[in-house]
Amino acid sequence: MKKILSIIAFAALMLAVTSCDKIDINNTHKPYTPSSSGKTVLIKDFTGVRCVNCPGAAETAHELQHQLGEDRVFIMSVHAGSLAMPVGKFPDFRTEEGTLWYNENSSNPLFAVDHVSLTEGNTLNVSQIDAAVGDALTEPQVFNIAIENDYNEASRELKVRNTFTVNGDGDATYYATVCLMEDSIVGRQVVPGGVDTAYVFRNVFRGTLNGADGEMFSNSAIYPADEFTVNCTTTIDSVYNADQCYILTYIYDNKDGKIIHTGMAKIK
Amino acid sequence: MRKHILLTLALALTFGFKASAQSFLENSQVNGSFQTDAQYYMLDNGIGIDNLYGKQLGLNGFGKVGYSNGNFSAGIRFEAFLPELNGFRQELNGVGLANFYATYDNGFVGVTVGDIYDQFGNGLVFRTYEEWSLGMDNALRGVRTIVRPIQGVTLKGVYGRQRYFWAPYNEREFATDDYRGIVRGVDGEWDLNQSIPAMNESEFKMTLGGSFVSKKQYDQSLFYYIPENVGAAAGRVNMSYGRFAFSTEYAYKINDPSAINNFIYKEGQALMSSLSYSQKGLGVVLQVKRTDNMSFKSQYTALQNDLDINFIPPINYTHTHSLPSMYTYSTQPNGEMAAQFQVNYTIPKGTVLGGKYGTKLSLNMSQVNDIVRDSIMDHGQMVINKKGTLGYASDFFAVSDHRFFRDINFEIDKKISKDWHVTAQYINLYYDIETIEGHAGAPPVQANIGFLDVTYKINKRQSLRFELQGLWEREVKKGYVYDESEKKDYQKRGDWAFGLLEYSITPHWSISIADKWNYGNPVPEFRDHYFTGTVTYIHEATRIMLSGGRQSEGVVCVGGVCRTVPASSGVSLTVSTSF
Repeated sequence: MKKILSIIAFAALMLAVTSCDKIDINNTHKPYTPSSSGKTVLIKDFTGVRCVNCPGAAETAHELQHQLGEDRVFIMSVHAGSLAMPVGKFPDFRTEEGTLWYNENSSNPLFAVDHVSLTEGNTLNVSQIDAAVGDALTEPQVFNIAIENDYNEASRELKVRNTFTVNGDGDATYYATVCLMEDSIVGRQVVPGGVDTAYVFRNVFRGTLNGADGEMFSNSAIYPADEFTVNCTTTIDSVYNADQCYILTYIYDNKDGKIIHTGMAKIK
Repeated sequence: MRKHILLTLALALTFGFKASAQSFLENSQVNGSFQTDAQYYMLDNGIGIDNLYGKQLGLNGFGKVGYSNGNFSAGIRFEAFLPELNGFRQELNGVGLANFYATYDNGFVGVTVGDIYDQFGNGLVFRTYEEWSLGMDNALRGVRTIVRPIQGVTLKGVYGRQRYFWAPYNEREFATDDYRGIVRGVDGEWDLNQSIPAMNESEFKMTLGGSFVSKKQYDQSLFYYIPENVGAAAGRVNMSYGRFAFSTEYAYKINDPSAINNFIYKEGQALMSSLSYSQKGLGVVLQVKRTDNMSFKSQYTALQNDLDINFIPPINYTHTHSLPSMYTYSTQPNGEMAAQFQVNYTIPKGTVLGGKYGTKLSLNMSQVNDIVRDSIMDHGQMVINKKGTLGYASDFFAVSDHRFFRDINFEIDKKISKDWHVTAQYINLYYDIETIEGHAGAPPVQANIGFLDVTYKINKRQSLRFELQGLWEREVKKGYVYDESEKKDYQKRGDWAFGLLEYSITPHWSISIADKWNYGNPVPEFRDHYFTGTVTYIHEATRIMLSGGRQSEGVVCVGGVCRTVPASSGVSLTVSTSF
């Protein structure tokens, strides 16, 4: 009997010893090199000024952007849902298009990476975006996006010329959505433990120049070196800081809504 | 002669085999149960159902058969979700053999192969179980060995991979999103009163136990180093002396970054203790619990209740009546501090308050708060719950001001005469709906709830039962100014009334009608009636229930594990039988 107990005790000890991997807390991040394809990724961050968990989630998304490259990962903060509704001195960043994209979800923060989850009727939480972004970056680059902005300071009129050059092959119906963004807006935001009256809102979506669904620019097969142009005009609202505004344009496949490429350019 | 000998031998063998087969069959026992839950869905603009999204009919069904013969037992369970009923996970959609097992146990050693349901202690580090009403099944497919080397000592080992809906178990067939690791664990339990002769008859009873469970998962993360072997250990003590009993269990888990804990590398801890006293007519129980980062799953990216290796038991009163059970607490995996106190007292028969049959009184109080989380230093910055760090610091005994749940209830159960029986309960409830159900920004439910449940026996075979229930919310009132975008967070909020009338003819028939009315909803269009009519027929172990009407949105919880039930309208049929 003692022999049996000894064998069992030894087996249990071996199991315990071999069954625990302790990670060095100073070395938890893996070195990551994005693929060389040049494909960019858009994270839509559905957020709200009264959402206590949103600043933390936004910070995580920005860390990811910083880690993977600000020229490869773009973030669009879409204020939508009941927690984006302003009360008192809270700013109102809601837009018609943002509410439409939010698609009656019931909580914030929520994310969509290149629209993949969004088009299936659900969204990701912040802990799920890493893998989605990593996967999206490995996809081949089909388009190049060049954005030329012509901004008139006096009239605040902005003319945008988007040129899409084809890098690979494809056969789908392609749409482009041109968005006006404003960065570094200071205002009130609910944060853990209270309200931050001087919170800096990053990459705030202000609206589209050509509708929530954008506009179609190709509905037949595309080949390398094909070129397409989408032009838009808008007037920058007087309360927006033009120095902090930029245009973000994304191309998507109308069949599944998936974003294929994203580009951005400051208006000044 | 030789021919005769051969014939005799053949006859002897034949009859011997027949006798053996007969004996084998005589010792065999077969049991089984079958259940089908079906619902026909209908449009009902009155409660906002203007689209069925192609689902007119949902059906969940199972059949299980078990066989035992002496030391051997085996069983199978077949399941069908064609498609699954609303409120169940879409991944269940399908049909097939969900579970099978075979066990040999001779008292000294027991071996099971197949799908294993088991629990170590309270389940803080290991529990696999199946709960039909939740669509939950985290069975471990593999091997279990039990050894009882000496009287009072039980050693157990398990090894396998958990069920994940209908995903294949073979690694080579895994899709990226159904990948899950291997679970292996050992548990030992020592009953001192059985092992030590001097304690055999002692009034002091004691059991000691210890467990170790580990998962082997593969690091597929692009950004973080994920531990491929994560271990958790627990120790427990159960003691009793006379009318007093005490039990406690402590569990510890090493770094386990996951989607549930936002990829922090903090260790997990759990402590659960219970002290009770009982005598005839009186029972008192005090329970306390602290958990911190104790979600333990066999896939680090899993969410909700998927692939849970362990189980954090709730310590709250389980309500069974309609309105009190609308807001049932769901265990928070990332941490909670909980306490429960319960007193049951029976006023003796023949006293002024006890009357002819005695009167049962019970008082229950339970509260769950968050744990305290303090910032930690990371690369020169104070951070809290940041990915890739230790997350936070937490004082073991500190209780956060953030209250998740509180339930104070008092119940009287009284048989007034041989024909009348009354049960009445008052409940004071606090329910943080934002945390528990994810209704971001919604104010907590603070409600007073009461019900009266009266049964009148018309004669030996017939009886009438009626229930009156009310739920009154203190903060959410009619006339509340809400934004259009907030509306759906108030789907079931405000005051409710409920009435039920049930007529039973034993032993076969029961007919009931009920109405649940959200008359005090702050949103006028949500002040709906949810009426139902139900007919139940019971014949021995067979039960057939047909009901029609509306079902309000809510949650179904069993043991702190919950699923959301959307509002629906239609006809449902449940047929169950067993043998």
